Amino acid sequence: MRYLLPSLILVALMAMLMLRGFVHSEILADHRVQPEAAADRVPEKILEGGPVIDTRGDSPTSLEMPKQRLVLTFDDGPDPKWTPKVLDVLKQHNAHAVFFVTGTMASRYPDLVERMVQDGHEVGLHTFNHPDLSLQSQRRIDWELSQNQLALAGAAGIRTSLFRPPYSSFADAMDNKSWPVTEYIGSRGYITIVNNTDSEDWRKPGVDEIIRRATPKGSEGAIVLMHDSGGDRHQTVEALDSLLPQMKKRGYEFDNLTEALGSPSAHTQVTGLDLWKGKAWVYAVQASENTTSVLVVGLAVIGVLVFARFGLMLLLSGVHARRVRRRDFRWGPRPVTEPVSVLVPAYNEAKCIENTVRSLMASRHPIEVIVIDDGSSDGTARIVEGLRLPNVRVVRQLNAGKPAALNRGVANARYDLIVMMDGDTVFEPGTVGELVQPFADPSVGAVAGNAKVGNKDSLIGAWQHIEYVMGFNLDRRMYDILRCMPTIPGAVGAFRRSALERVGGMSDDTLAEDTDITMAMHRDGWRVVYAENARAWTEAPESVQQLWSQRYRWSYGTMQAIWKHRRALIEKGPSGRFGRVGLPLVSLFMVVAPLLAPLIDVFLLYGLFFGPTEKTIGAWLGVLAIQAVCAAYAFRLDRERMTHLISLPLQQLLYRQLMYVVLLQSWITALTGGRLRWQKLRRTGVVGSAPGSVPGGASGSVPGSVPVQRSASGNDRRPVG
Amino acid sequence: MTHGYRDGYTDGHASGPGGAPDPSANPYWNAYEETYGTPPATQGMPGAQGMPGAQGMPATAAFPQQQQQQQPQWADETRPLPQASAPTPAWAQAAAPPGHAAGIPDSVLDPALNPALDTALTPSSTPAPAVPKKPKKPGGGGGRDRYLDLLRSLALVRVVVYHLFGWAWLTVLFPSMGVMFALAGSLMARSLNRPAWGVIRGRIRRLLPPLWAFSVVVLAMMFVGGWNPSKDDDGLGWLGLINYIIPIGAPPYPWQIGSKSGLLEDTWAVQAAGPLWYLRAYLWFVIASPLLLWAFRRVPWATLLAPLALTAVVGTGLVKIPGETGNAVTDFAVYGSCWILGMAHHEGLLRQIPRYVVVSCAALVMAFGLWWASGHLGPDGWDLNDIPLAQATWSFGFVAILLQYSPSWQELPGRLARWDKLVTLSNNRAVTIYLWHNLLIMATVPILDRLYELPFMDDRLTGALDTTYLLWMFVLVWPLIALSIVGVGWIEDLAAKRSPRLWPDGSKKRGSNRARARGRGRAR
Repeated sequence: MRYLLPSLILVALMAMLMLRGFVHSEILADHRVQPEAAADRVPEKILEGGPVIDTRGDSPTSLEMPKQRLVLTFDDGPDPKWTPKVLDVLKQHNAHAVFFVTGTMASRYPDLVERMVQDGHEVGLHTFNHPDLSLQSQRRIDWELSQNQLALAGAAGIRTSLFRPPYSSFADAMDNKSWPVTEYIGSRGYITIVNNTDSEDWRKPGVDEIIRRATPKGSEGAIVLMHDSGGDRHQTVEALDSLLPQMKKRGYEFDNLTEALGSPSAHTQVTGLDLWKGKAWVYAVQASENTTSVLVVGLAVIGVLVFARFGLMLLLSGVHARRVRRRDFRWGPRPVTEPVSVLVPAYNEAKCIENTVRSLMASRHPIEVIVIDDGSSDGTARIVEGLRLPNVRVVRQLNAGKPAALNRGVANARYDLIVMMDGDTVFEPGTVGELVQPFADPSVGAVAGNAKVGNKDSLIGAWQHIEYVMGFNLDRRMYDILRCMPTIPGAVGAFRRSALERVGGMSDDTLAEDTDITMAMHRDGWRVVYAENARAWTEAPESVQQLWSQRYRWSYGTMQAIWKHRRALIEKGPSGRFGRVGLPLVSLFMVVAPLLAPLIDVFLLYGLFFGPTEKTIGAWLGVLAIQAVCAAYAFRLDRERMTHLISLPLQQLLYRQLMYVVLLQSWITALTGGRLRWQKLRRTGVVGSAPGSVPGGASGSVPGSVPVQRSASGNDRRPVG
Repeated sequence: MTHGYRDGYTDGHASGPGGAPDPSANPYWNAYEETYGTPPATQGMPGAQGMPGAQGMPATAAFPQQQQQQQPQWADETRPLPQASAPTPAWAQAAAPPGHAAGIPDSVLDPALNPALDTALTPSSTPAPAVPKKPKKPGGGGGRDRYLDLLRSLALVRVVVYHLFGWAWLTVLFPSMGVMFALAGSLMARSLNRPAWGVIRGRIRRLLPPLWAFSVVVLAMMFVGGWNPSKDDDGLGWLGLINYIIPIGAPPYPWQIGSKSGLLEDTWAVQAAGPLWYLRAYLWFVIASPLLLWAFRRVPWATLLAPLALTAVVGTGLVKIPGETGNAVTDFAVYGSCWILGMAHHEGLLRQIPRYVVVSCAALVMAFGLWWASGHLGPDGWDLNDIPLAQATWSFGFVAILLQYSPSWQELPGRLARWDKLVTLSNNRAVTIYLWHNLLIMATVPILDRLYELPFMDDRLTGALDTTYLLWMFVLVWPLIALSIVGVGWIEDLAAKRSPRLWPDGSKKRGSNRARARGRGRAR
């Protein structure tokens, strides 16, 4: 179910795109033309006969045009620009003509087809997407005809019995390859119309030349070939404008074909199911055209956003790194040396709590450690007590969720600087000291540390490693400069007690209490900064399942937090500043942009299969190269080894998609049932789909598997903004 | 992230066969060792040797669950943390106790394409010794690496489907041949801890009798059809027929035999004998294996990549070796890397490289393969079989990823479990299925053509049958394959010096007699 809706949306988008490509002759188009062949198997009377070829019966016959009748025929239309002009000219001179429309164009511009019929013109088939039928199978020919009729029915509610084969000319040009097709088409009930005079207007030979070529000798009747589509047709329109009065003066009449022959109309009304099928088809094509236009705009937006973001990140993170790495850089007049309270909320962390606490013991900064056991059932608290370490206290509470545990920890903390970390995170000896240095600046209310992935040898770990390094070294530096850091990671963050108290401590209004508190800090006027050297090692989810539930919580929680703090948009003071600068920026980059990101892949797939494949791959590689440059810069800032970047191409092909499907699901939740759950989401902090409370994970029973991420309940770190 | 069991069997190799318990004490030791190497010295349950990786930690007996789990590995090579970076030694966590393999005697049966068992096995009629039994799903293959078995089954099915429908994209979807050679290479490397000559002899002995059975039938049909090998232009004449006995080259066959109106298509000989190149390639790989393994242990990377380089030379038209020798060299080069990759898998090389490196590099190699293929499309488009370098690189990358993830299943997990019997059966009869499938595909045609003679076949039904013909072939070929398993499959058992069985799908528990009876019942 979780994949169903997002994938349905993607499939629908893809289908729309394909339909569009289909009626734009990007899919299934066949531009081959049969070379000329011998004509010894074409009946003599056809070769020497007229342009109206009737092969419906047993013996083929052909008809000549009566004298002083000129039947204008226009191929390949309708065209949105030139067909209306042709129709206008014809109307002006009270002339009727025949339009041989292709199915693709008729589907795209049904209104024009309808107007042709209303103006008294006749419409004939010119296949669906204009292949040389002598190269096609019988099945394809059938399909070309029926699909063309379908489009016609949808556009004008009629069927027609007139047909002109693509690439055709005069009757004497029939050859051994095209004649069997003509015979076959006759057997399907169509009359094939070729022509007597070819204006060759597609060559754009000039108005006079078009007229000269179109004009028959003496007072002969003729079928004239012209085009109303396929390029600039202003010569055709101008030629018509003078040809019509000129020929009328010579006594010619301009009728449509059946009028000229004095036979019943070639049109028949379509009713019932066929009509509805046609209408549905035309409607679908219209929808795909519109959707595609929207998609293209979306793609442009996402492109601009992506590149703007990359540019901004590179620029601002460079500025940030230069600033904090200056030799004389100091946060305040003197370094922070006062002791710090470290809060470790833990829920069923038996496997790692010992590592966590022992890593804190090596801290070079004076600390006290408070482990808040949030009702664990696996003896987490006893493990810590069993260590008998000085400066480590255990506080127990009934399971009440991470925000409550943190608040309890704050209440129990002795000191004014408070560091929060997760029960499965490991600090370096210098982490706490580095993390609290920014508090030398009295305006700093909270500090985000640098969370790093510990298990980065697996593929999914390597991907997250890249993501974390980029997220911390580019995103967070940028947000630091812009003063709108959206999230202090739960794995490593520090707060000033006075600031925490002013904003009312942690809240369980949202699934992402760390984003929530950070936004609250901004609104209260505190600065939130990034301390690059405060590294914490955390274990990233090892399975798609766990990653999914973690990210689902993050992205949904972020949406909740943005929604919760929406009033900042209209407030005054620092809150308003954050609301009008930070909040839109965060929404744009974290909520809107990822939502449009799938477009890149949809267009990539489409381009790969139908479009200009090489250009598509080239463009993708170009974007990849930009990503790689950004990632490499981030890795250099963090002094990380570049080897992990080798998994960047695959990350772009697999991981990113997973992330936006998660985001799409969050959107769906937010738009459908989100508000209902708003206040219920406390205590466990596990959303419906989270596999959560399986201590040791579902794979615990599989021998040899690495211990999986600890239960997702209530202690999800959120290191990456 | 599979430690445990795989480490288990490598440890076993380290201690060498000499370290194995006395086989006479437990007849199933052989089987277990054949399949998994000697288990680690500690035969106790995991955890009995305490908590590795817990140096400096107080006793944690109060929390028994800790003994079941490994310590997390935070170790970061750049910045080791004082406590957290204590390496987690691989320990015998999941090394199966001996009873594991012994639980089901069937487990000793290795697929014949990749026969791991050459030594005489204790007949399964020996009463089962009292070994600790593990609860096991009925029919579970037990003791075997079911993941590899599953891959082999998939490869076989893919080959049959591909030969039937001829869909070129199947070669991209799942490069069967590369997978089969890799699995065979892995098993070969495992067996080669014994004297090489015996291993090679055993492999060949298990390969030939099934081939002979097939050769007799096909040759008889060809001669009845009027084939005269001496009239072949580019063949060795009658001498070439020796390849039907020992496939040192691909056996010759006439390009056209019989008439178009005959019972079988006039290209049936091509179709039937065409796949025999695999046996030739397999034979040469087996013979070359001791050398390859020796080279691999000295210069692993060079040995692993050398066949790819060779493919780039002989598979791209750069250097052209004419005739059957050229084919043999090209096949050897194209699949050589897969074979050696199988050896690397067994030797543990793949485990030493971080997974993300393997997968990412494999993806790049595969991307190169696709790119190369796109510029060198053959007569069937994306059919990699016609594009040696693309086939070599794509298969190499594909197999590397499959083997890197190799989870070493003791039994098929979850929903896959329902395929257990089919997987076991197809693995036990892999040679039979491979040899005969193409002839059987051809045989479906005259059978299906009978349908046209049915009295109620009107135009509509005839048309429907025409359009769905391939589908019916696909439906029909499986019963025919089942028949061939019953009919000639037992030769594989004879070749392996086992008592023949009709339907070895692993559904028996103890005692071959009962099993045979049941097998027979099933076969009917």
